[in-house]
Amino acid sequence: MKASLEWLNEYADIDVSAKELGDILTMTGSKVETIDDKSGEIKNVVVGKILEVKSHINADKLVVTKVDVGNGEVLQIITGASNIIVGTSGQIVPVAKPGSSLPGGKEIKTGKLRGIESCGMLCSMGELGIDPATYPDAEEDGIFILDSKYEKNIGEDIVDVLGLRESIIDFEITPNRPDCLSIEGLGRETAVSLNKPFKNPRKNLDEMKIENKKELEGLTVEISAPDLCYRYIARVVKNIKIGPSPEWMVRRLNACGVRSINNIVDITNYVMLELGQPMHAFDINSIDGKHINVRRAKANEEIITLDGQKRKLNENMLVIADSKKPVAIAGVMGGENSEIENDTKTIVFESAVFYGGSVRKTAKVVGLRTEASSRYEKGLAPENALRAVNRAVELIELLGAGEPVDGMVDVYPTKQKIVKIPLEVDRINRLLGINLSKEEMVTILNKLNIKVENDIVIPPFFRQDIEQTADVAEEVLRFYGYDKLETTLVSADTTLGGKNKKQTIEDNISDLLVHSGLSEIYTYGFVSENDLRKCNISKDSNYAKQAIKIINPLSEDYTMMKTTSVPSMMQMLENNNNYKNKNVKLFDISRIYKNINQNIEEGELPEEDTILTIGMYGEDIDFYILKGLVENVLNIVGVTKYDVVKETENDMYHPGRCANIKIGKDVIGTIGEVNPLLATNYDISQRVLFAEVNIDKIVKYARNVKKYTPIPKFPAVERDIAMIVDETVEVGQIQKIIEKKAKKLLEEAKLFDVYRSEKIGNDKKSIAYALKFRVPDRTLTDDEINVVMKEIIEELEKQLNAELRK
Amino acid sequence: MKEQIEKIRQSALEEIKNANDEKVLNDARVKYLGKKGELTLILRGMGGLSSEERPVIGSLVNEVRDEIENLIEERKKEFKVAEIKRKLETEKIDVTMPGKKIELGSVHPITQIINDIKEIFIGMGYQIADGPEVEFATYNFDKLNTPPDHPARDIQDTFYITDDIVLRSQTSPVQARVMETQKPPIKIICPGVVYRSDSVDATHSPVFHQIEGLVVDKNISMGDLKGTLEMFAKKCLGEKTQIRFRPHHFPFTEPSAEADVSCFVCGGKGCRVCKEEGWIELLGCGMVHPNVLRNCGIDPEIYSGFAFGMRNRKNSNGEIWNRRYAFII
Repeated sequence: MKASLEWLNEYADIDVSAKELGDILTMTGSKVETIDDKSGEIKNVVVGKILEVKSHINADKLVVTKVDVGNGEVLQIITGASNIIVGTSGQIVPVAKPGSSLPGGKEIKTGKLRGIESCGMLCSMGELGIDPATYPDAEEDGIFILDSKYEKNIGEDIVDVLGLRESIIDFEITPNRPDCLSIEGLGRETAVSLNKPFKNPRKNLDEMKIENKKELEGLTVEISAPDLCYRYIARVVKNIKIGPSPEWMVRRLNACGVRSINNIVDITNYVMLELGQPMHAFDINSIDGKHINVRRAKANEEIITLDGQKRKLNENMLVIADSKKPVAIAGVMGGENSEIENDTKTIVFESAVFYGGSVRKTAKVVGLRTEASSRYEKGLAPENALRAVNRAVELIELLGAGEPVDGMVDVYPTKQKIVKIPLEVDRINRLLGINLSKEEMVTILNKLNIKVENDIVIPPFFRQDIEQTADVAEEVLRFYGYDKLETTLVSADTTLGGKNKKQTIEDNISDLLVHSGLSEIYTYGFVSENDLRKCNISKDSNYAKQAIKIINPLSEDYTMMKTTSVPSMMQMLENNNNYKNKNVKLFDISRIYKNINQNIEEGELPEEDTILTIGMYGEDIDFYILKGLVENVLNIVGVTKYDVVKETENDMYHPGRCANIKIGKDVIGTIGEVNPLLATNYDISQRVLFAEVNIDKIVKYARNVKKYTPIPKFPAVERDIAMIVDETVEVGQIQKIIEKKAKKLLEEAKLFDVYRSEKIGNDKKSIAYALKFRVPDRTLTDDEINVVMKEIIEELEKQLNAELRK
Repeated sequence: MKEQIEKIRQSALEEIKNANDEKVLNDARVKYLGKKGELTLILRGMGGLSSEERPVIGSLVNEVRDEIENLIEERKKEFKVAEIKRKLETEKIDVTMPGKKIELGSVHPITQIINDIKEIFIGMGYQIADGPEVEFATYNFDKLNTPPDHPARDIQDTFYITDDIVLRSQTSPVQARVMETQKPPIKIICPGVVYRSDSVDATHSPVFHQIEGLVVDKNISMGDLKGTLEMFAKKCLGEKTQIRFRPHHFPFTEPSAEADVSCFVCGGKGCRVCKEEGWIELLGCGMVHPNVLRNCGIDPEIYSGFAFGMRNRKNSNGEIWNRRYAFII
């Protein structure tokens, strides 16, 4: 909401600069967005009259003028403007005399142009920072030629003559304060903020008594949708004389960013800016049956709005209709069919209040957010509507633009409620952490026009945002001063801060991975059909079936929520690969969302699992490095008992290089090489190592019991064992047999060699283990170890057909 | 005999003193102390001595023997030290060569910021709360005093899964869930991912992070909120940081405020970062709206609370919170 200081000054005496006022109002809740401060920028520019225009002997495009700048002074000024023509004279123009300055800090001096002296400059509107809309009759390009009426002002300062000393502040008004989308509202805030009396120039509107009639000049009003229209007032003006608005009005409209159209339209806009109540004016003759019906639109009804666009309406929209057709979209824009034309003789002023939610939705659907709709959508006060229509009629009389008809038609089905709130002084003090007396609070509230009677707070009609004590507290605080709030610390019961088990586990995993050389990435929760395709995920797989779809996705790339973290990690690896990054090691901790029970339509939230995803490619990385990394992850979080089981059915992985990590039957993670068929879809030709670990499951199984083990007191006994087995035998089988047979004597069984050669045989391999035996209470004897070794060897021979190497 | 011993001693010590490598020392040991060594022979020849003389000579021989042995050891050590010193000369390395290390990875910058913020609030007794990202509209909106016609609920701003289920557009639903399940005192912060229907540009992303805080107990005041945020700002941005409250409006708080911090670049004098204002918008906050407390089963007549939320904002300053989420993509 833009407001000029000149206009605000009508409400409160402003004795501070625009910048200072902006700072003060920001601290009382009307935040300043920008300040357009023209005052003081234009210096020594006067009204002048051109006496003669001659050609320049050295330049075709320049002319030499003689200009009367008052007090008998005549200046020779050269200009290249297209609208100052040789042989003409008498134009009234703004003249920047030598030593003058213009907006933007430009300074004007005497100088020579192509050999001829020029003492100053004739100015254009742009050079003076004037919006051309203020002077629609003047030529936008070229020198600003003033109306001849300014001949009497020759020699006077242009700033005073044209009222250019305008400082305009643009405020950001919060949605709870539609009353501040008006000069009156901002004027009130200004007065209270500056601690000055509110001059209340529109006081007369509150005292006006206008007779409410059933009809005016044959016009009747009906509200068929009282849930969407709280009040509708019509007043009629006859013998309209359409013409331009006076300069003061145009200037004020311009200051607020509104272009002048004609006196009638300008009055409606002026009232909206002044009082915050949107107005509309119809030609009474365009209203069929002279009957206004505020009703819901019919399905597929259409209207051409004032901007010439055809708009399709639906049954949720409110329209102002006559007996046959809609003539306006309520609260949004009028219709072309009822527009005021130059031959309009009698007009109807509409001042109505509609339900904000409906106006907002309608404006969105038809794609028209207007000055009117943006006010309505915040919820306007029905009590203000009467003041507005009376103000419009008052302006008609002031401008001599027509003859108002006595009386009005005021349909007001739901009277605005008067809210009453007990003044809870203690509670307000406690809530804010301040200590004000009742009297101090009442003083603040009264300044804001909020009455307090017998400890009951009664907000004025224009403050519908004040509903309960918390709202009263905010008003008190705004003018007590947010900056005066003393800072205290919560004195409540002590609480124990901290992370829960899952957060701790996530942080520990993240630390470990960072120290292992991996970098964390963030990925979006979205995936697309194409992502699934690239990951070889078929439409009937669970990954596709359990994905939840977004009704209103941003684009094709973000149509559903991910059920697997593979696509997003693969995309990151692809990007890195494209950027020629070598040795990429990434991890991501984020969620997947699975509509497992397919019950989302019935109102069941999908399952969300937090997944650790590791993606790597590059030198010195293989399955076993990945496996070691994931085992470290499991180890630090306290998951110690698990199986790593070969997995051949997962399409996203290499069938011979993939394993599931299982606890019992529960798969808590998958590790392996990405299937090259999939990697190719991402243009990666290297081996890609990938792990997905379900952190929620880890949290379930993690036993973070720390157990103390003393430093061993007795020496260990070490034995190596080497055997030849079939290629199909897995090392895990050997390990299991050793662990089972060695029982509690075994401290560690470590694989130290795998060897293949023709000598051993093509389908064979040699496996070597280093075994370390130790018990805490004694030194083991050779005999004891020999017994165990014998058992181990026998079992290996029996179960795996192992052949011991001597 | 004594003279003989003295002579042996003299010549042995002389030899050892003059030795210039270990071999000479070893030879000397054999020559004097070995099985057939000169001193050993004397011991053996003691048989012919009187019983008075024998112990005197015996102990003299032993003394000399010890003396010789000690000197040999001493000289050996000298050789060792000299040898090590020689070796040190040859073992010089270029200490400016690069170290051999396991390359470290890194956490995402936003994780770093969130971790810092978490630490500060944990220190003040806050729990870290969490909730679903796919959320009921009731939790995302209704319970937070955002009725069905509120602009925030527009399909233009929020991703809908069904009419009643959305991708959470704020972390505030976590607050509602915590208030429903926990009794005051409640002190939580909830960091997390939120979704808004914003196209990707320099300052916008459909996915970004938020951190919200909530405190509910008896007698919680707006002064407490300001004090808490001041402490947070000082810990996060430096001890000299000032905090400023400006009135604002949010549906879920009343009174509401926008908290600014003094610019940490210029200290409040005005610079490019703070747009010459000296202040930088940090977050929105306020006293939990009585309707929100009521909606979550907490009696606003007994309890009060404050809430604050930091989010990715167009005009906020890049260094604190306006990092574009997806800059790695």
